[in-house]
Formats: sequence, structure tokens, C-alpha cells
Amino acid sequence: MGPPALRGVLPVLLACAGLAVLQLLLGGLPFFVTLASMVGINVILAVSLNVVNGMTGQFSIGHAGFMAVGAYAAARVSMLLNEVAISGLPEAVSNQVLYAVALLAGGVAAAACGFVVGLPSLRLRGDYLAIVTLGFGEIVRVVIQNTPPQTSPGFWAMGGSLGLTDIPSGRSSLFSTWLWAFLVVLVARRIAESSHGRSLTAIREDEVAAEAMGVNTTAYKVRAFVVSSFFAGVAGGLFAHFYETISPGSFTYVRSMEIVVMVVAGGLGSTTGSIVAAVFLTLLPEGLRSGFLALGGQAAAQVAEQVRMPIYGVLLVVLMLARPQGLFGTRELWHRRKAKGAAP
Amino acid sequence: MSYFLVLLVFGLWSGTIYALVALGYTMVYGVLKLINFAHGDVMMVGTYVGYATALQWKARGATGRAWTPGMGQVLTIFFVSMALCAVLGWLVERFAYRPLREKPKLTALITAIGISFVISYGFQMEVGFLPGPAPRAFPPLLKETTWLSLRGGEVTLSNIQVISFAVALGLMAALQWLVFKTRFGRAMRAVSFDHRTAALLGIPVDRVIAGTFMIGSALAAGAGLLFALKDSQVDPLMGTQQGLKAFVAAVIGGIGNVPGAVVGALLLGVVEQLVVGYAASSWRDAVAFGFLIVVLLLRPEGLFGRVTAEKV
Amino acid sequence: MSEPLLEARGATIQFGGLKALSEFSLVVRAGELQGLIGPNGAGKTTAFNVLTGVYAPTAGDVLVCGKRVNGKKPHQINRLGLARTFQNIRLFKSLSALDNVKVACLAETHPLFSRARIEALQQSALSPLATALDAANDYYDWWRALLLTPGFQREEEALTARARELLEVMGLSHRADEEARNLPYGEQRRLEIARALGTRPKVLLLDEPAAGMNTREKAELMVLIGQLRDRFGLGILVIEHDMKLVMGICERITVLDHGETIAFGTGAEVRANPKVVEAYLGDAPAPGTGGAA
Repeated sequence: MGPPALRGVLPVLLACAGLAVLQLLLGGLPFFVTLASMVGINVILAVSLNVVNGMTGQFSIGHAGFMAVGAYAAARVSMLLNEVAISGLPEAVSNQVLYAVALLAGGVAAAACGFVVGLPSLRLRGDYLAIVTLGFGEIVRVVIQNTPPQTSPGFWAMGGSLGLTDIPSGRSSLFSTWLWAFLVVLVARRIAESSHGRSLTAIREDEVAAEAMGVNTTAYKVRAFVVSSFFAGVAGGLFAHFYETISPGSFTYVRSMEIVVMVVAGGLGSTTGSIVAAVFLTLLPEGLRSGFLALGGQAAAQVAEQVRMPIYGVLLVVLMLARPQGLFGTRELWHRRKAKGAAP
Repeated sequence: MSYFLVLLVFGLWSGTIYALVALGYTMVYGVLKLINFAHGDVMMVGTYVGYATALQWKARGATGRAWTPGMGQVLTIFFVSMALCAVLGWLVERFAYRPLREKPKLTALITAIGISFVISYGFQMEVGFLPGPAPRAFPPLLKETTWLSLRGGEVTLSNIQVISFAVALGLMAALQWLVFKTRFGRAMRAVSFDHRTAALLGIPVDRVIAGTFMIGSALAAGAGLLFALKDSQVDPLMGTQQGLKAFVAAVIGGIGNVPGAVVGALLLGVVEQLVVGYAASSWRDAVAFGFLIVVLLLRPEGLFGRVTAEKV
Repeated sequence: MSEPLLEARGATIQFGGLKALSEFSLVVRAGELQGLIGPNGAGKTTAFNVLTGVYAPTAGDVLVCGKRVNGKKPHQINRLGLARTFQNIRLFKSLSALDNVKVACLAETHPLFSRARIEALQQSALSPLATALDAANDYYDWWRALLLTPGFQREEEALTARARELLEVMGLSHRADEEARNLPYGEQRRLEIARALGTRPKVLLLDEPAAGMNTREKAELMVLIGQLRDRFGLGILVIEHDMKLVMGICERITVLDHGETIAFGTGAEVRANPKVVEAYLGDAPAPGTGGAA
């Protein structure tokens, strides 16, 4: 599709156009915006986690920790740049540029953490990564809880247990959230269809053989981890600017596990599966909660909320016993084209 | 100095209780190479069973709040909890883990997490007999008195602490005897080396694994009751919190290694108390994982672990 | 006499008190086809594992293309020109046959920092810098993959073409898009060889390539291995139990027993060696009868 030189960026340009239209049409409907934003953020989290857990076959269960790093980093950068404006640009545009800067800062911070966490642990046996990533999430939470309140000067005033509540408003938009969602899907797909993706899958299938075929398995695992953490950080930044307030309680072990459920249910290794599961598992609890609220009032809604996690647990167990490959296994929506003989 | 001793005593106290839970993790990992994420939650269930049992008697025979159960009743509480948890452990192994034994380990790991969710979040629901998320005060099974007094009263050892030590050490000694001096223990060790060969040698692998789960779960129930005695409360999330720390202790000692789990747990308990005492209690939860990461960086197989090479 | 491609000098590996491999010495040159035989448990696969870097030798040296590789990781040794297949087939099961080979065909990319310079830095005191430059190369390569640069696309196409060629050499073109786990046993073994060839090796180590094959398949494989040797100018070392195969194609044979080398020479010399006869007669029919050892 298109001349080779443009093939890389063309999808992004098309997406920008499409999303701009979407923003104009639906950006004014708060209910839609809320749901769509939450879905978009979860898609980014699930697809990025799938790169590590699905494609590479590692077991990371601390994704919320990287999300937290990104959220807080992006929030603080945004807060500190709040009074700044880029000369020569209208205020709205200047804000969006600084927003992008904040998001990138969040992503880079999370990626750096991914590197620091990944490098020592990915040398170890698979189950160790699970413990270390879980621990990382906990450590991040505890560190943030011990930071000074947000009114204090300096970058590290992360608000402690109370969190940050003065995150600049009006930055988040359907366009930006979904553009990043599009980017992560594009990145995941391009990785999967490149030699790097094949190497990652080889590592998943048989690490010893991959190593014997010249694949530097540790380096590859770390790279996958870094890419995955970057997007988790961006998702965190998007989350922070959407809700305009964050606290350590938003990034617990529970959130990590929710994302794991999405990736597993969708199919470990399938980006499509992660997207579908993220959409479904974001909308369904919301739908149920609203439904119960309408039918049975506050008490019923509370029960619906409480029963969500045990049901996730049952879902995991049933999935593993009956259909461990999840919804899509390792297949993708775009695989069908390949089978018909089109160029890869 | 006495402050240090006080912290040390508290550290060893929680350490011995962590040890009881860590043993369950390490034994199951030894025979199945599985991190049983649900183990801590089984402990929590045991604590609640004990709580419910105690409440029964309290309701019937209570004259005001000052109810102290007799020795027979305390023993019954322990026995009922441990027995019920053994059954729960057996159920989980039989229906959730055994079907997945030949599947990749990741599958069983995810199942374990699922079961952990069902139990810990299930107990947070306020439906029927399920207790709901608020912590409940655990009735004191013993009247607290000081048994030992050092350095002129600055360092004291209460009866609860001494008995807790004694119970924990007794259970650990019993386990030690079981693993190293009985036929079942030998079978356990054989299965943890290589379960296929063990099966070929006529060892009933399924029963050994089921037994391992039951013993581990019973120990965890005992630990849960000792926790409840120490903190005077139960809550549905104690399994995940304390259980995870106990698991970290097992890894520090060398996962799969029984004495290692005990040493790791004692170390963790002490270090945790020292951090809380000398730094700040808000850092408590990070200690376990920080300690773990340091150990994994320097000696990944744990303090007592063997470096296992994969056969190519 | 050309330079040795693969050389082991007194390589020894000890696991606790057990010497699995003792004073193992071997030289393989381009165009040579050598055999490594011995009863079960003699240490043949262990020798392969030491040569390919899965284990580091506790004593002695291993050299690949003249460079000492003790303690290097398997992927580094592979890059130096040594490839292997496995006794228990280790294909990437869910990948297609073509993809299996493609994984091994690491792209001939134009890195940001030249490999030669990085190699040189590795030897010097600035080796952390070399690691950093290597990582930078890697990230740059990922970036090119994400942007789908024309250069990257061309490399992918070249890679695919080369992989298809290798499949054809091994007679597997008709299976290119088939998942590796669906291939019949004999084809899986051939695929492993195709994959190993993808890494552009100078020496090929084949661990029981004919195991489980019938007589006809074995005969075809014998011919194929000889052709590979000629076509790619490789040195090949084969572990095998089937004596007919070994005597048929190997010019020289090393015999291991309990980790020690008990004989070395041509097929005829080895067969007549009383120590070899004893090692085999100890548990199994004598060599040359084609029975399972």
C-alpha cells in the first residue's frame, strides 16, 4: 500500500485524519468520552503488556507500577510547565505540545524503570520475573506514599498518600488518547511482523534454541520490556490527565491483574485479542454497574462492584482449564490477508 | 540496646509465623515447581474459620467481654482451622492444579492467581456468610501476661509471644521429622527431584502432591491464627499481604529448600522490624520486596538454593 | 591444510564430583565430515553443549575460527560461525517452517556503529562502552522496524529469499507456511538443519540428525549432509548411534565413553579398536551390526 518510502508513516497520517473527525463529531458527549477514554487507556495497557507476556512469553505482573511511574512523571512535568507557554503559538496548541512533552516524559521515565527492573530479572527463571515485577509495583506505591505533599517545591513532591489533585485540566482529548492507542497497536503489529518479533516468539517457544540460533535472548527480553513499559507510562500519563487527579491507590496490584486478565483472556500473543478483551472488560463492568444501579439502586451496584474481582478470578481459572489460549490464541485479525498470498 | 532487643523479639516473632507460611510455599514449589499464589489466601480462610469458631463459643458462654477459652477450646479452634484448610488445599490442588500438571507452568500460575482472587475478593463481599472487607477484632485466646522481663522491664516477653514461638517451632519440628524421617517425607523429596522418575519407581505421585498441599495448608492455617493472635484482627486481604511476604522469604532462603524457608522468614521478620523501628513504619511494605531484589541480584538461587541447570 | 574452524583442547567439564567430559580434544576443518560416537551417556551431547557454550568448560579451551570462546554465551559463539541441531527436536513450534528459518537468518543490517569497532572495543578496557554501542545498534534497528524504513523492508525481503532458498535445499519448500509442529518427524529434523544453516555457520554440529528415521530417510539424509558440506564448504561434526550412517559418511570418528576419548581414527581403525568393541559390547550389540546402542 503506497510507495515503500511512505508505507511507514501513512497509517499514522490516516489515523490522525480519522481521529480528528471523530473528535469533532463526538468530542462533546461526556458519557461517550469517558467510556472511550477508559477503553483507549486499557487498550494501550493490554497491548503493551502483551508484547512481554504474550509475544515473548515472560510473566510480568507489575504493569501498574510502570503506569504509576508514567502517571506521576507526566503529571509533575505538566504541573511544573503549567505556567509556561510556547511563544508564537495559540494557547491551546501550546498546551497540547506541552501535554505531548509530558506524556513522552512519562513514557521515558517508565521505560527507564523497565530497563532497570528488566536487566537483572530477565536473566533469571521465568517465575522470578513475576515476583520481581509484583514487588516493583509495591515498591513504587510505597515510595510514592512517602513523598511530600504536592504543594511542596520540587519535582519529587508527589503528594504522598493523598496524591496529586492539581493536574492541569483540559489537556486530555479523545484524539490524543486514541492516537496513542493507535500507535501502540501499530508498534505491536510492526514488531510482530519484523525479525524482532520473530525472535521474541522464538524466545517464547524455546529459549535455548533461540539462543543457539544467535538470538541474544536476554537483550531481546529487556528490549521488549522497555518498549512495553514505555507505553504503560504513556497510558499512565493519559490516565492522569484524564482524571486530573491520581493517588497511589489508583495503581495497585489489582490493576496489574486486571490487565493480565485482559491479555490472557484475549489470547497471549494476539494483539487483536488484547484489544478485544480490553474493550470488552472495560465496558462490561461499567455496563453491569450502571445496570445494577438502575435496577437495584446503590446497594445492588455495590454488590456488582464487589463481585467483579471474584468473577475475574473464576474467569481466569475457567479459561486456563477450558481454553488456555484465550479468545484469539496467537492469531490476528490481519493474518487472513497473509494466507491469501498478499505480500507480508 | 534494649530498643534493638525489643525489635529483635518482634522480628523473630513475626518471622516464625512467616516461616510457617513460607514452608507451604516452598514445599509446593518443590514438588510442583509452581508458585501457589493462593496459599496466602488459604491462610486467611483458616484465620476466619478460627474466628468463627471462637465466636460460636463466645456467643454461647460469654459473660461480658472477658471470655478466655479453656485449653481444650483453643486446641479445638486450631484443629478445626487446620483441618478445614487442609481440605481446602486438597480441593484446590485436585480441581484447579492437577488437570494442568502437564501444561506449561504459566497456565498453572495464572490459575493460581485466579483462585487467589476468588478467595480473597470473595471474602470481601458482604453476601451471606462472607464477612466483607472490614477487619474484625479477633478475640484474644489468652489473657496477655508478661512472662519474662529483661533489663529492668524494658524488654518483655509476653505469654502470647512465648506460646506463639513454641507453637511455630513445634510445628516446624514436626514438619522436619515428617520430611526427613518418614516414608512419606522421602516420597515428597523424590517427587520434588523428578516426578516422572518417582512415578516410575512406584511412588503414588498424585497422593504425595495432594498430601503436600494439605500439610502446607494446615500449617498456613496455624500461622494465620498466630497472626491473628499477634495483630488481634482478621481481614480478607491479610492473606495476600502476609502471604506474599512469606513467599518472598521462601525465595530468599532458596525456593524449594525447607530450612532455607525458615531462615529466610526469620531474616525477613527481623529486617522488617528493624526498618520499621529505625526508619519509618510507612516503609514496611517495601522492605520485603527490596530485600528480595537485593538477594536476587547477588544470589538468585537464594541463600540455600541449588543452581539448577536445564538439560539441553 | 586450512585453519581449524573448530578446536577443542583438553576441554573438561565437571558437575560436582562427576566428570562428564574429560580432556576432550578435537579439530574440525572446512570440508571435513567427522563423527562423534559412543554408548549412551558417554558425554556426546555434553561435548556439544561445551562446544556451543551452553556449559563453560571447567578446564581446557574451546576455539571457534581461532578465537577462544570459553564462557561466551551461545548466541555469541553462534555469531562466530558455529551452529547446531538438537537431540530432542527444539523447533519453534507455533512458527511456520519458513519463520523458523527466518529467525536464524539474522538480518545483514547496516548497524549504526560498525561491528568491527565494537569487537575491538570489547577486548579493550572500554568494554562497557562496547555493550552500550551494541545496545544502541539494537535500538536503532528496532526503530527502523517500527518506521518500516525502505532499507528495513529490503532487508526483510532479502532475508525471506534466503530462508526460502534454504528450505529448498532441504527439500521443504512445500511446507514453508506450515506450522512447525504439524510437520512429520523426518521433515522436522530436516527443518532443524535448515534453520541451523540460516545462521551462516562455518561449522555445523548435528546431534543425532537421523534418530527415528527409517532406512530410506537415513540414506537420503546421508547424501544430503554430504551435499551440504560440499555446497557450503562447511565442517560438519555428527553425533550418531547408527553405525552404518557414521561409517558411511564420516572421514574420521571420535569415540567417547564415560566422558573420555577412547579412540580416534577412520571408520575401519575405530571398528577394529578393542576398547571400542568392549565399550559397546558392554551393553549392546557390537558396532557394525546396525543395532540400537
